[in-house]
Amino acid sequence: MSKIRLENISYVYGAGTPFEMHALDDVTLDIRENAVTGLIGHTGSGKSTLVQLLNGLSRPTSGRVLLDGVDIWQKPKEIKQVRFRVGLVMQYPEYQLFEETVRADIAFGPKNMGLSQEEIAQRVAEAAALTGSDASLLDHSPFDLSGGQKRRVAIAGVIAMRPEVLVLDEPAAGLDPRGRDMILNQICNYQKQTGATVIIVSHSMEDMARYCDDIVVLSRGRCIMQGTTPEVFARSEELSSVGLNVPEISRVCSMLRARGVPMDEGIFTVEQAEACLCRLLAADGKEGRI
Amino acid sequence: MKSITLGQFYPADSILHRADPRMKVILTVLYIVATFLAKNVLSFALLLLSALFLILISKIPMKLVIKSIRPILFIMAFTALINVFFTGGETVLVEWKFIHIYLEGVYQALFMVTRIVVLILGTSMLLTYTTTPIMLTDALEQLLSPLRVLHVPVHEFAMMMTIALRFIPTLVEETDKIMSAQKARGADFTSGSLISRAKALVPILIPLFVSAFRRADELATAMECRCYHGGTGRTRMTVLHYHPLDFVILCAMLAFGAAIVVLNRLGLGFTL
Amino acid sequence: MSQGWIRTEGLTYAYTDDTTGEEQPALHCIDLNIEKGEYIAIIGHNGSGKSTLAKLLNLVLEPTGGAIYVDGKNVCAPDMTDEDVFALRQKVGMVFQNPDNQLVATIVEEDVAFGPENLGVPSQEIRRRVDEALAMVGMSEYARHEPHRLSGGQKQRVAIAGIIAMMPECMIFDESTAMLDPLGRQEVLDTMEMLHRDKNITIITITHHMDEAARADRIVVLDDGRILRDGTPEEIFSDPEPLLAAGLDVPQSASLIHRLRKRGLALEGQVGTPGACVDAICRMYEARHKSL
Repeated sequence: MSKIRLENISYVYGAGTPFEMHALDDVTLDIRENAVTGLIGHTGSGKSTLVQLLNGLSRPTSGRVLLDGVDIWQKPKEIKQVRFRVGLVMQYPEYQLFEETVRADIAFGPKNMGLSQEEIAQRVAEAAALTGSDASLLDHSPFDLSGGQKRRVAIAGVIAMRPEVLVLDEPAAGLDPRGRDMILNQICNYQKQTGATVIIVSHSMEDMARYCDDIVVLSRGRCIMQGTTPEVFARSEELSSVGLNVPEISRVCSMLRARGVPMDEGIFTVEQAEACLCRLLAADGKEGRI
Repeated sequence: MKSITLGQFYPADSILHRADPRMKVILTVLYIVATFLAKNVLSFALLLLSALFLILISKIPMKLVIKSIRPILFIMAFTALINVFFTGGETVLVEWKFIHIYLEGVYQALFMVTRIVVLILGTSMLLTYTTTPIMLTDALEQLLSPLRVLHVPVHEFAMMMTIALRFIPTLVEETDKIMSAQKARGADFTSGSLISRAKALVPILIPLFVSAFRRADELATAMECRCYHGGTGRTRMTVLHYHPLDFVILCAMLAFGAAIVVLNRLGLGFTL
Repeated sequence: MSQGWIRTEGLTYAYTDDTTGEEQPALHCIDLNIEKGEYIAIIGHNGSGKSTLAKLLNLVLEPTGGAIYVDGKNVCAPDMTDEDVFALRQKVGMVFQNPDNQLVATIVEEDVAFGPENLGVPSQEIRRRVDEALAMVGMSEYARHEPHRLSGGQKQRVAIAGIIAMMPECMIFDESTAMLDPLGRQEVLDTMEMLHRDKNITIITITHHMDEAARADRIVVLDDGRILRDGTPEEIFSDPEPLLAAGLDVPQSASLIHRLRKRGLALEGQVGTPGACVDAICRMYEARHKSL
């Protein structure tokens, strides 16, 4: 069932001025509960605007944001509670660290929730463990950590609020391949362990293909596709037509098809391509039969 | 957030926009002196006319001009009241209980308000509305360059000015981002006592300072890589040249100043 | 051993830890030869020393050991004057990661002029160079714009123009695409490759993106301050194990070829870019079909 539903959402910047811009235009979409959903689209497709609508940081010009079927703007005074239920990790979150110790920084969210000291301590320990931050780091200054460590601490700061929905904007931006895999694996583990709903925004189609169950595609303020990852990447020509990349391996498959190699449709991981090619290259060959 | 502009520059094609920024700085100084020279009805009338004339030739829309006056309306009203009620004199206009209003007070109030309006209009037409902040920085750097002999770091100040102008929009954008991020963790900037609100700023200010220092550090490295080594031996792409037009304007301004002085001598009515 | 245009001999660098005062080694005895007109990618995990190496080549950092020769001149010699350092930085330009933190002026063309102005180039010559550099990176129509209103890719192209206007012979890109979206990355990569192809500028690019590295002529892999591998993309990516062990990755197309080869399919030709991968597979597919 859907955890979050956006109903006919529009968002207009600078309404009534000459700079009026429709960032989102009548978007309706569902985010499935207990799954990892990937949100893709160009810069300026309305992605960042959409992300800030999910936890009530901004209010849609028209339309409703439903969390578990309830409009989050029903009681505008209690919007803060929505922010605790829908945790948002913004881009380059390590630049928002400010406390003297890692422990205090992770505790910032739980403290704002008004939890007891014991509860806070427990959540800090839990969040640090979930993001793979070593307990010995907790008493260090966050500014002494390496880039990847800082990023994990910043994510822990949001996870410590135990949000039902975790939204991450480009969580792997600027990290090296190992750091990237580590963070994305931890996010997926977190999802499995807690049953939370996770939404990841990313430009890397390879990462999306690997880690997401569902994909939502935005283009020019509209939602042009939503479905499971295989469903969406099966429409790679459509994705390319709105100027979005597809995973490199899907591109290789399209090129092969164009050159007369009858590759299967809807390949988006290296393993799938390998299996398909083994079949094609071995079937007619005299040697190398596998 | 991308719509923030610094200063009040309004792009248009007018004589004042084209004039050399250094000349405009000089003209502005002369104009300010002229406003303080005016002493009687005639010279103040000429001042007002000159301000209107500047608005006309600068091609700045009237709407913007009025907008620039609005913030100082209070100061104008205040100055007027003080002058009307507290200036003594000979010709009594109103006498009621403890309130005495003299003709001299009314004149004084009118003159003062005119002076403020003309000062604001004159400097904005001559300088802020028609000159980009960067042109202004360049002009000041060149005009003040003789001070280098006295070891005043003129170039360094100008460079600091340029960098500040360049980075203010970036930092404003960054502040916005950090605020959103802390709000997402439940920070509250709008409720509570003054002290708790001040405390709520810490999670914004610390990341902002850290980021500003990081940016400064990276910028310094980038500038070093582009061979920056202060003002010595540095050339400029855009070299400012005075044009005949600039001297025509200068002459007009001097004539205007002379006219004010002459009109002051035609003792007509009240003089300051 | 060939005498490269840039040559490092036993290049070593150690940071001094501010709190403990201990030396933290970042680079160990790097011997590297870079020929004029080469297009080299340097890859390595965070903290492998690749950014340190880039900063040393430009003398933003001073080596703690070893020597660097650029165009036959030892730039670490004690008799280097300030002028010599400026001459080196004019020859070897550098573009950084964060596009915001390397633009100085509030107007695009003023920023491009910044380098030549520092070098004391005559005004008219600066004007000519600025116009030419902006045209080269396709930013002429933005000459009078304010940098903070540009997209990331556009800002980065302005930064590149700022270096081109200094007429460098070599350009170092220190993770210049890391903060950009795919469109911006493509813009920067295209500009970089145009400079290499049309202007014969030596390109050294430092990156985390394996698909970007695959486009270079040569890849140097750094791991914990040492050179782990040095070779063509074909050589580097056809053997993924050392890369994975060093916290890196291979492009998906290279990974596919590698997996197919392991399965006993003798795919021939280049590995690395998607194009090369498609060529190799097509050749085998066609050969199999003709033989039927």
